[in-house]
Amino acid sequence: MLLQTKGICKHFGGLKAVDQVDFSIEQGKLKSIIGPNGAGKTTFFNLVSGLYKPTHGQVTFQGKDVSHASMNERSQLGITKTYQITSIFPRLSVFENVRLAAQSRVSMFNSWRKAYSYSAINNRTMEILEHVGLADQQGRTASELSHGEKRYLEIGIALATEPTILLLDEPTAGMSPAETVEATHLIRKLSNELKLTIILIEHDISVVMGISDEVMVLHEGKKLAEDTPEKISANETVQNVYLGKGAEPCSR
Amino acid sequence: MSAKQKTQETTSYKPYSWQAILEFRAMWVVLALGLVLPFVISKPLATEIMVYALFALAFNLLLGHTGIISFGHAGYLGAGAYAGAMVVYYGGVGVWVSLLAAMAGGTLVAVLIGLLAVKRKGAYFAMISLAIAQMLYFLALSPFKRWTDGEDSLKLPPLSVDFPFHIDLSDQLSLYYFVFVIVALAVLAQWRILSSPFGHALKGIRENEDRIRACGFDITRIKFLSIIYSGLFSGLAGGLLAIYLGAASITILFWMTSGIVVMQTVLGGTHTFMGPFIGTAVFLYLRNNISNYTDRWEMWVGAMFMALILLFPEGIWGTIVQKIGERRRPSAS
Ligand SMILES: Nc1ncnc2c1ncn2[C@@H]1O[C@H](COP(=O)(O)OP(=O)(O)O)[C@@H](O)[C@H]1O
Ligand SMILES: [Mg+2]
Repeated sequence: MLLQTKGICKHFGGLKAVDQVDFSIEQGKLKSIIGPNGAGKTTFFNLVSGLYKPTHGQVTFQGKDVSHASMNERSQLGITKTYQITSIFPRLSVFENVRLAAQSRVSMFNSWRKAYSYSAINNRTMEILEHVGLADQQGRTASELSHGEKRYLEIGIALATEPTILLLDEPTAGMSPAETVEATHLIRKLSNELKLTIILIEHDISVVMGISDEVMVLHEGKKLAEDTPEKISANETVQNVYLGKGAEPCSR
Repeated sequence: MSAKQKTQETTSYKPYSWQAILEFRAMWVVLALGLVLPFVISKPLATEIMVYALFALAFNLLLGHTGIISFGHAGYLGAGAYAGAMVVYYGGVGVWVSLLAAMAGGTLVAVLIGLLAVKRKGAYFAMISLAIAQMLYFLALSPFKRWTDGEDSLKLPPLSVDFPFHIDLSDQLSLYYFVFVIVALAVLAQWRILSSPFGHALKGIRENEDRIRACGFDITRIKFLSIIYSGLFSGLAGGLLAIYLGAASITILFWMTSGIVVMQTVLGGTHTFMGPFIGTAVFLYLRNNISNYTDRWEMWVGAMFMALILLFPEGIWGTIVQKIGERRRPSAS
């Protein structure tokens, strides 16, 4: 197992946002997490990425316990997440947004060499901008991009840190249907061609079903089910609480 | 642009933004103007502008480039001035050693403030730095009076430089060019630092601290180093100030020094490189002229400051850069 959580919990006061979740993913797989709003999906990602420390439980990555490693340490180990609410460097250029993330693998304290003189970083930045379709926008200020473009930049920044495992938190949030289809292609490409291990949080079930090896369903912080996409869509409890195909879906 | 060119360009990159190119040119223009400044305004005023401009640039390493608000920069400047003056006064060393001591003094205070406050944000950092600077002020005022002369400034003998050639610093024009060359080198060094991977990481912290940390940057250590650089250059400015004044005076450590550098920096534009330099020049020029006419110069300078900020919300240079950007946008997209 590349990454594993054991009995992981995060409590906010009395609220059990994530409650006793066991999760694991093998190298090269694409696993999705679905669940209604407030199910604890983002909180689960924050536990894996290191923004939050677990109330109980453990995160192991490549066999090592990383539960107490900070966010930047986990990023350096190869765990990177994208944000549900776009989090970019607004006044920097598109190029610089991605280049900075790529730079994180090479130099943080060198105060004398010119940042743009690292040709390997520059080339890698352009490669990633090509991947996410922003190469011809490289000179624009990030804040000027459209919503959809910002979502791609979000992914580009994460890719630039050369992740071993990539956590995507609702990458298609706020995208038009056409953009969503494109984004789904991109995720599939990252998984199949770049062989990245991916955990994908999605609200849009149709996105998840076509591309996931497995799906985990969260509900009120707890793991409700975990199976192949086909079996998940056939699962009655899941249908009742989330998919809403049953007579009475849970109230939002 | 032809379609052919366009396809070729997809793999090439143009990392330097127009702002960076503009700032780089502005830096050279300002430094070139510095060569003739003592023939346009009085030599002491020109010298004072250079010293305080360096101080403001050092201050802006934190405020504008890292996003850290410091209300205690008098502490770095004062530590530099006293360290520089004391090694001359008690140790009889030369000017170069004095400037090294000044940098060490500023750096030492930066280490202290860094250790105590680097993890604090916003107003908390500002308050801790203010508290430490105030503490230095009171220490210099009375417990350490034996060494600092307290309210009487620590006066220096006439100074001269012998290496690489003889410069008589009691001559006003020689003093100006001596200060100018050191300030110019320090400005270039700061430009270089900000162009480095470290400097770019600072901008990342300023733009989005959470995301830069998620990208794997150790922001505590990066901020710490940023505070150190700011202290080092402020200390150097302090050392030059002591040489210019011929004394280390307690007013340098007074909290008003910390306030004035904020005003000078904001007046020029915090989101730019040369803004603080330009803000300092305008501020000191106005203050100097107004104080020739009235003793109530603080009030007039305050009023002028407010008028200028209303006119230039991003600071004088910052607003000019912004306007140039707005003009470019329709043609660029
Ligand atoms: N920092 C926080 N402090 C307090 N409550 C939080 C915090 N973050 C999330 N929550 C709560 O935890 C629950 C799960 O939230 P979240 O993980 O964002 O859900 P999801 O991403 O599945 O929509 C929600 O009830 C939310 O209000
Ligand atoms: Mg969420």
